[in-house]
Amino acid sequence: MIVDYTLIAESLPVMLKGIGITFQLLFISGFLGLILAIFLLLMRLSGKWYLSFPAQVYIYIFRGTPILVQIFIIYYGLPQFGFIRSSIFWPILREPMGCAIVALSLNTGAYVSEILRGGVLAVGKGLIEAGSALGMSAYQKFVYITAPIATRIALPAYSNDVISLLKSTALASTITIADMTGIARTIVANTYAPYEIFISLAIVYLIFTFILQKSFGYLEQYLGRYTKREE
Amino acid sequence: MSEHSKKNLIQMKNVDKYFGEFQALKNINLEVQRKERIVICGPSGSGKSTLIRCLNRLEKHNKGQVYIDGKELTDQIKDINAVRREVGMVFQSFNLFPHMTVVKNLMVAQQLVRKISKADAKQSAMHFLERVKIPEQANKYPIQLSGGQQQRVAIARALCMKPKIMLFDEPTSALDPEMINEVLEVMVDLANDGMTMICVTHEMGFARSVADRIIFMDLGEIVEESKPSEFFDNPKNERTKNFLQQILTH
Amino acid sequence: MAALNGWWDDYFWGAFVIFQVFFCSLGFMIIFGLLGAIAKLSGNKVAHRVANAYTVAFRGTPEILVILLMYFGAAIFLTSVAQIFNPEAKFIDIPPFWAGTIAISLIVGSYATETFRGAFLGVNPGSIEAAKALGMSDVQTFIYIRIPEMWRIALPPFGNHMLSLIKDTALISIIGLNETMFVAKQAITVTGKPFTMYIVVGAIYLGFSTVVTLSVMGLEKFGERTTVGAK
Repeated sequence: MIVDYTLIAESLPVMLKGIGITFQLLFISGFLGLILAIFLLLMRLSGKWYLSFPAQVYIYIFRGTPILVQIFIIYYGLPQFGFIRSSIFWPILREPMGCAIVALSLNTGAYVSEILRGGVLAVGKGLIEAGSALGMSAYQKFVYITAPIATRIALPAYSNDVISLLKSTALASTITIADMTGIARTIVANTYAPYEIFISLAIVYLIFTFILQKSFGYLEQYLGRYTKREE
Repeated sequence: MSEHSKKNLIQMKNVDKYFGEFQALKNINLEVQRKERIVICGPSGSGKSTLIRCLNRLEKHNKGQVYIDGKELTDQIKDINAVRREVGMVFQSFNLFPHMTVVKNLMVAQQLVRKISKADAKQSAMHFLERVKIPEQANKYPIQLSGGQQQRVAIARALCMKPKIMLFDEPTSALDPEMINEVLEVMVDLANDGMTMICVTHEMGFARSVADRIIFMDLGEIVEESKPSEFFDNPKNERTKNFLQQILTH
Repeated sequence: MAALNGWWDDYFWGAFVIFQVFFCSLGFMIIFGLLGAIAKLSGNKVAHRVANAYTVAFRGTPEILVILLMYFGAAIFLTSVAQIFNPEAKFIDIPPFWAGTIAISLIVGSYATETFRGAFLGVNPGSIEAAKALGMSDVQTFIYIRIPEMWRIALPPFGNHMLSLIKDTALISIIGLNETMFVAKQAITVTGKPFTMYIVVGAIYLGFSTVVTLSVMGLEKFGERTTVGAK
């Protein structure tokens, strides 16, 4: 089998044009998803059933169904309803990018809230008791003790989720978005060279994954500096 | 009810505590006066920790009343944190905040709970670090200190809140033998300075030399309560005698 | 809701396809995962490198890309092989079912490699020593001591892998697998109710997820009977 290197050389720049879209999807959805995750986490931790239960149901549904289905429901499904089409959200939900970002945010929010919850539960009970014994309020204990420690504990799992999110952005190509995968699929359809195109695209994603992992590695080291004995 | 007219700093009346079906405390009656040093001892599961944890409401008693400095401990939140400011606790597993330096550990509650300024909090922190004889460790993280040092920091952290009462929950049980003394020394110092303290411990030497009263607990009840001399030389109850035999013959 | 009349049996068969993909991919996933774990745990440098390349490649590449690559790439590969023998040979297809199943097995298998590797390492070394002292052979130790304990440790994350397999099945619809997403697409052209149709897809997947989650919980309880002692 001959590898058509000229094809790769010609196609890569074209595919990389989609980087902007991929990054937008990754960072905007990641950010919105994180905010949503914190809300869901607080609802779960509130102890009040009318907050905790809806949050649990939400998380259960969004973690139990494929993200592709969620994307399709939002992009293809919502326009079915008149009240959606005439609502203030319509300008966002009409656009493929808007739908993709909404779907990815809703999805990653569910996963990340569970990851954060795992971190919170892993904070040693004794530390919270020490805070109580010192007279700290519930808010103070959460902000000064639980949150910093939980963040450090949850970071590895969170970094995995960010990488998952990067991979999920490729699904935007199924709703006509011209991200890197979308462009690649068009090229393959024209040139019938799936190996060259898809493998070189995969390598691009791998490079991004590597960069993300390294970055999170540095962050983990920085946050974990109080866990090392030696100065 | 004026706090000054109450002679008893701590009062427990007919206190029961259940964990589900299991009764951890049975009809506890206890009075502690200012400047008294109480040691509570007894076998595992006798309820010693549970008793002192009811005094700062880390555990909630089910029946009876608990009074700290005249205030009754109930479910009203304002009361609880106001009481906790006055009651310092030292834990068996130290529970220092791992993500803060030693000096920050001592400052954080002063700033957040007693609303003390950062500068004053730091001054107070360094003062108490000197008191427990490790001022040079101020900027280290807890993990870099030995067990004995960590526990001394924990004591300093509680003292920074200027509590009226200090509770010690088996403070030396998690320490290697060679570090127990450095912690006991600090506690003896504290006692000599007039701090009201209740100490759950197995260290009988400490009990004999420091305590005004020793309380022996078994199966959730206070079985015997007396001065050290009487307690060790002339125990009245069979269970107390058995316990002392087991503890003192090794 | 009336729109769904007449489509229930199509959905049923679509769900059956999900079921089939699950069982086939489950088997392959376990095989790939175990092979990868054993390769990483062996002292063999080459095996180590190959296993590492495997995990890095499949954990960093978007699932949709792997599926597309497997489907189109395999078709091209088989066609060119066939043309060696018969120049007249036309396009040779590999059924979407197998392309997709192998693809998702490879992907989730790369995660399973880490899970199994961690679980093998988590087996109590004391138990191994005891087995050796009793004269058990390496093979016997592996089968009767290592594997059962490894499974108990691996079970929670393995449950997540099974959920991933189920959800990734939806992606195989992109290459034409006749499961529920595909059914929905057809139903929409007839009924014009995209939301309804895709919600049913979501509900079917949620149903599968729930069954898997409950089964894993049950298995965990069963496994715990040997570790949760009397108080």
